[in-house]
Amino acid sequence: MQNQPVVAVNGITKTYGKKNQKQFQALKGVTFNVQPGEFVGIMGASGSGKTTLLNILSTLDRPTSGSVKINGKDVTALKGDKLSDFRAKQVGFIFQDFNLLENLTARENIALPMALQNISHNKQVEAVNHIAKTLGIDAVLDHYPTELSGGQKQRVAAARALVQNPAILFGDEPTGALDSQSAKELLDTMTSLNQEQGVSILLVTHDPFSASYAQRILFIKDGQIGQELVHGDKSQAAFYQEILSTLGTFQQ
Amino acid sequence: MLRKLALGGIRSRFRDYAVLFSGLVIASAVFYMFMALATNTKFLTSNSPIGMTPFIFGFGEVLLVIITMVYIVYANTFLMSMRQRDYAMFMMLGAKSRKIAQLIFIETVSVGFLASVVGVVIGMGLTGIAGNMLISMLHAPAAHFAVVWPPALIATFGFFLLMFVLAAFVNAGRLLKTPMLELLHASTLPNRLQQKPWKLIVQGLLAIVLLAIGYWSMTQLAKLQMAAIGIALITIVLGTYFLFNALLVWLIGLLKKNHAYASKGLHTFTLSQLSFRIRDYTKILAVVAILFALALGAITVGLGFQNAIPELANTQSAYDATTIDANAATQQAAAKLTGVTSTTRYTQKVTAKAVVFDQAQITARPLKFVAYDGKTSKHLSLTTNADLTKNMNEIASQLEQFRTPADAQRQIKIVPHAEYVALAGTTRNIVTYQVKDFGANYDAFDAMFKAQNKQLHVTNTQLSGQKMATYGLINEMFSGLAFMGFFLGIAFLAMLASTLMFKILSGASFDASRYLMLQKIGVRPGLLRRSVRQEIGALFAFPGILGVIHVLFGLQLFTTMLHDPYHNIWIPFAIFIVLYGVYYALTVWLYEGIVIKKDLAK
Repeated sequence: MQNQPVVAVNGITKTYGKKNQKQFQALKGVTFNVQPGEFVGIMGASGSGKTTLLNILSTLDRPTSGSVKINGKDVTALKGDKLSDFRAKQVGFIFQDFNLLENLTARENIALPMALQNISHNKQVEAVNHIAKTLGIDAVLDHYPTELSGGQKQRVAAARALVQNPAILFGDEPTGALDSQSAKELLDTMTSLNQEQGVSILLVTHDPFSASYAQRILFIKDGQIGQELVHGDKSQAAFYQEILSTLGTFQQ
Repeated sequence: MLRKLALGGIRSRFRDYAVLFSGLVIASAVFYMFMALATNTKFLTSNSPIGMTPFIFGFGEVLLVIITMVYIVYANTFLMSMRQRDYAMFMMLGAKSRKIAQLIFIETVSVGFLASVVGVVIGMGLTGIAGNMLISMLHAPAAHFAVVWPPALIATFGFFLLMFVLAAFVNAGRLLKTPMLELLHASTLPNRLQQKPWKLIVQGLLAIVLLAIGYWSMTQLAKLQMAAIGIALITIVLGTYFLFNALLVWLIGLLKKNHAYASKGLHTFTLSQLSFRIRDYTKILAVVAILFALALGAITVGLGFQNAIPELANTQSAYDATTIDANAATQQAAAKLTGVTSTTRYTQKVTAKAVVFDQAQITARPLKFVAYDGKTSKHLSLTTNADLTKNMNEIASQLEQFRTPADAQRQIKIVPHAEYVALAGTTRNIVTYQVKDFGANYDAFDAMFKAQNKQLHVTNTQLSGQKMATYGLINEMFSGLAFMGFFLGIAFLAMLASTLMFKILSGASFDASRYLMLQKIGVRPGLLRRSVRQEIGALFAFPGILGVIHVLFGLQLFTTMLHDPYHNIWIPFAIFIVLYGVYYALTVWLYEGIVIKKDLAK
């Protein structure tokens, strides 16, 4: 294979609960790849295992078995400082509840990953201004998160996730706490980041509209990937309908 | 039902309640400890040669009330921050506001009541342990010292109940006025560092002026009398508060503006953490600085008085003890002396008219005396009769140790060897003792002193010329003060520790989520730990430094009572700073345990 996948997931399982106690298997062997520049959506109902999957992908949790390679590196074997550094440089996150530090201004939040790498102040300013312009938040950089709207907060979070040019951007229901207008704007921004800047994106959601922005959708149910939909040349509206009808049958 | 809900709330946040509760317990325990001395006028007047001691304790009470009030208000805010969401939820579920007010009242008052009951019990325990330990260590008579002292009990209960009833009303009022939605989503909003520069400058200047007045008034105790302490109390407390307010805001702003510093690692985060709750911090830091100064000052002064006892006693006699024909009891006691640096033996003959020493013995082993003019002492080694006569003014009382009350009419003389041998009269053996540490041998010397006084029929022990006599006298005067110093030092130290611990741990739950976020975006755990160490380090260092400065000036108050209050000052400072350092390490360790997850995957 010429192009090494950005994310290569191979047969991961996750079992909660200790041995000889009541055990619960949240993931039962999940395998898939994300190619560079791809925008992949993962859909599933509550309790389907999608949050567990994302936590494992983003190195916040470890699988019971199987491997996860990001940019060719097996992340399940990383520990301590190497794991932290990997998280800081290779992975960007956007969470449903923003996870911004409310005691830092938007600018300071975005610059934080660079400060951690001891990048010079001037370069930090430059990078923050650049990404802020791309995401349309340059006017609110000196505000604290509590002074921002939900949509603005999520853009700040996205800016913080992207400022280090990570290999992949993980989104965990990023539109979950946003109104429809802000959600649409954020998704448009993500699409343009994906198409124009070639950012690979993995989006976990249960919202069909958010999912319809992806090029490919994996449906997860009871800890397994059950079905796959490809956007292809279809219009977004048609793809949205297809997702809805798939959901209708898939969940039964 | 509501009572069940109230108790349920406590169970669900056990750790936070434990922090709150133990903090309040220590506060009331210390309050009791202080009151056990302050309200015991008999104890104060009989243990201090200084007439205005009860008034000084009166000022101390005011100060402690202020400190405890800040503590309780802060604890109460913490309690409310834990509960307001629950209360709002009850209201949302349809609880009437009157019921909620009742609930808040029950909860707040019962927390305060329980804490003060447990606190008083612990306070009595601490009073007993610290008191008795100090009494035996200092050989202090500590007359009228009482562990269970009803007025202190009443004062502590009264104060704490009053404070918590007030707090309950304030809580209920505030909660019922705040919109429900705001309560449900109450998150700790950041304080923008938007104080106007001129305000900072005014506060800074005011702080310096106030502190200068306070420091100056402490040097003018002789002129201003009680007013000096009152002025110092007000100006230094206010000055400390303004100084922290101005200094910290200015310093954080300065560091944040310094891009080379702020844009590195977690510096921005650490600075923001500090500025985030700056208003809480300034009050608590001011309280900590005052407590630090009180604890360190009390211990330094206590040690000063304790050291003054042997120092003063040393100016009264060169020998630590002298025996005349020691009997079995005296010898037995003398055998128990430790760290003996020298013993000298003489024989003397008692004639009808004189007590006579042999010149040959005295030439070989000169007699030693101390000449003290009230300021400096000079050691004398005398070998001749002429020497004795010449220095008679200084050494008269010290010569008494070489004769007994029965010899009152016999003059002490040194005669040439041949003449001594030829003299008729009873021969007595004299032994002098010098030890390294008189205080450590207190019991042995006391036993020797008593045995010999009995043997020689000494009725007026003050005229025995023995060092033990003067030591006992000075001890009676100063050990009470030393006792108060150490006792209060321990109490304030406990309060200081509890205040800092409370401040830091009460914020830990809020901080935990922030640190988790940082870990998620890839901050190395080592870097997080460094940020924690710096943040807590700042909270420890600032009040520590100011506290040390307060003490350095505050010791001026004691220049009239102590020969040199600054003598060997590094000893209490070093002890205190080591304790403070250990306490810092402990706090950092506890805090890291709460806010930094070892492994996110677990």
